[in-house]
Amino acid sequence: METSDQQQPPELTAFLASAIHDMKNSISMLVNFMEEKLVEPEVKDHPICKQMAPMLYEVKRVNSNLIQLLTLYKVDKKFYPFDLTENSLEEFMTEIEQQNRALMDTQGVQLEMDIPDDLYWYFDRELVSGVLNHALNNATRYTQDKLRLAAAEVDGQLEFRVEDNGRGYPPGMLEEGIKVNRGVSFNTGSTGLGLYFSSIVAKMHKNQGRTGDILLENGGKFGGGCFVLRLP
Amino acid sequence: MAIVTEGHEVFSGRRFLIIDDFPGMRTMLREMLKSFGAREIDMASNGGEAIALLDKGRYDVVLCDYNLGAGKNGQQVLEEAKFRNLIGLTTAWMMVSAEKTTEMVMGAAEYTPDDYIVKPVNEATMKSRLVKILTRKEAFHEIEKAVRAKDFNRAISLCDEQLANRSGYASDLLRMKSSLLLSTGQYDKAKKLFEQILAQRDVPWAKTGLAKVYHLTKDYDMARQLLNAVVEENRAYLEGYDWLAKTLEEVGELGEAQRVLVRSAELSPNSVTRQKSLGEIAHRRGDLDTAEKAFRKTITLGENSVLKTPVAYIGLAKICSDKDNHAEALKVLGDVHKHFDSAETTLHAKVVEGHVYRKAGDLVNARKVAAEVATAMSDAATRMPAGVTVEAAELIMETGDKETASKLLKVVVQNNHESEKLLGQVKEVFAKGNLQEEGLKLVEASRREVAETNNQGVQLARDGKLEEAVELLRNAKTMLPNNKRILLNLAYVMILFMKTHGKENGMVREVRESIDRVLKLDPSEKMCGQFQDMLDAIPD
Repeated sequence: METSDQQQPPELTAFLASAIHDMKNSISMLVNFMEEKLVEPEVKDHPICKQMAPMLYEVKRVNSNLIQLLTLYKVDKKFYPFDLTENSLEEFMTEIEQQNRALMDTQGVQLEMDIPDDLYWYFDRELVSGVLNHALNNATRYTQDKLRLAAAEVDGQLEFRVEDNGRGYPPGMLEEGIKVNRGVSFNTGSTGLGLYFSSIVAKMHKNQGRTGDILLENGGKFGGGCFVLRLP
Repeated sequence: MAIVTEGHEVFSGRRFLIIDDFPGMRTMLREMLKSFGAREIDMASNGGEAIALLDKGRYDVVLCDYNLGAGKNGQQVLEEAKFRNLIGLTTAWMMVSAEKTTEMVMGAAEYTPDDYIVKPVNEATMKSRLVKILTRKEAFHEIEKAVRAKDFNRAISLCDEQLANRSGYASDLLRMKSSLLLSTGQYDKAKKLFEQILAQRDVPWAKTGLAKVYHLTKDYDMARQLLNAVVEENRAYLEGYDWLAKTLEEVGELGEAQRVLVRSAELSPNSVTRQKSLGEIAHRRGDLDTAEKAFRKTITLGENSVLKTPVAYIGLAKICSDKDNHAEALKVLGDVHKHFDSAETTLHAKVVEGHVYRKAGDLVNARKVAAEVATAMSDAATRMPAGVTVEAAELIMETGDKETASKLLKVVVQNNHESEKLLGQVKEVFAKGNLQEEGLKLVEASRREVAETNNQGVQLARDGKLEEAVELLRNAKTMLPNNKRILLNLAYVMILFMKTHGKENGMVREVRESIDRVLKLDPSEKMCGQFQDMLDAIPD
């Protein structure tokens, strides 16, 4: 802090948060615009559209990073309105699918949905969709052409899986996936924020002595990388 | 692909209102609704316009942006629409917001939207959410109707019916049912229900609900323990903080209560109600600076809000006066009638005005105001809150008219002959007029008088003269509309009467009204729940 700035310096983090908020709004508009335009028939087959498709991935990545930073800030300052409500998995996952349709279409990825019938679970809708949207966006980059989003009750916990048919996580990443649950510092590479955010969200979900967690593994239905979120 | 293709008819026959300050956003939302099949769509660009439109016509669906620029925000528009009954039971209110705010998600249940969408707005999501709320609203229509008609037990049995049918709204229904049990004083049943829910799952609202039961049955230690756990696990859970503050207040830990309220005011920076509570508690503690700040903030926040409260004006005036800033105190009080169209509030402000003059040493004006208050009070005393009547009596006593002051105090004693706290205040006022002995005598005599009426009623009932008992207590109730014991006994003899003579709609309503009023006077009164059960047990 500079010495000239002695009277009531604005708290830097609050300043950052409001800047992030502002950027997020602009990026949201950009995402909306691109998602709308890229699927219009007259645009869809234009050569420039092929070049634009990866840009949608990038823009969505920035958007989800900003949302994550903002949420982490609020969680850290203890004023995130954690809203534990009972959600229908069918409705929730259909929404996730809708939110990602434009992305999947433009990236030429086929998304397979495995939605359980008649399953309800308690979780914070925005936080969990933040985690899953991020995982799906991330997976479009590493998959060949297929993704699977699945949810099921496993051992009394709700388990979400995002599986791809890419080459799978390298060993170092699998390691990170384990460490991040234990709160051990993680590498600051491009995936650091997403994993950290996901683990914080998982940990915020508690029930009768159990706490949520995340898991990275290889295999799954398509034999590629699997991102797993488990909520008690 | 599960895109919602059905449901065109859901939209075509309904009226929509879009509230957003950005023209681009309004157009975008309108086009979206049109593509869903909506035909009747109105738009407003700010809170004022929105309220004017809501006042004129009925809307089935409102899409409202949270941030509306200057003036009212989306939450305040919703509060006003609900408060003034501008929207019906079936109106679906969808808040659209750039971020999830604490007030939108965790504010007072009666003022939260039916759902919210965080931007960017996805078309398919908007559509399925709207269909979902409208379907849910329809499913709950009968229950809400019963609630509005204050037929709470019917509402509860409708909840049970739907729960048994597994309509898919289990969590909403349990929540409604439990709050109905609480508001009708059926604490044992509420407790059992909350414990059942918690045995399945840690849900903050159920834990808070259980704490409310403990609070309302005066087990403050248990309430406190549970609420501490709720806010510990869930640092932004507003309702938990609200009840924790109330509990701490009950056990006299005002400093701690103030600390909790500071926290909840931080979490909901636009909440008029929480700033007001903070001001009140700080004032009670004698922390005048905090109280002054909180009341000033309450007034500013209230400018655009239907929830603005005279408490802040009156509190601020008292503090200014305590700080010898009499001129501002009088100015604040002079503004009250401009903001609040209520004879009772105006009268309360008048009372405080008299006290300000007295403290400022301006006895001429103090006497003048006291005389006005005395006239106004002569027929308003039974309607006024007891605390205000005591304040008025104090002013009148201290400016010399001991006879009128004594009369007002008598009304307070008769209506509250079992409240030690108020009786203590009454005695203090008598002491200020050097009438300690007369005061004691009057308190005792009035107490005896009411007790005798009650006993007489009970005796008549014992002798089987139920009709006479009802008549006697009914008359007593007209004289003493806020006397808890009389209200309870009246409800009881009416129940006995209907047991022998059969149910009678008018009387059922009278019993419910009495129970309702008792619960308002004292939410911890256990008899209310029992009477409710007895009333239900009488066959139709």
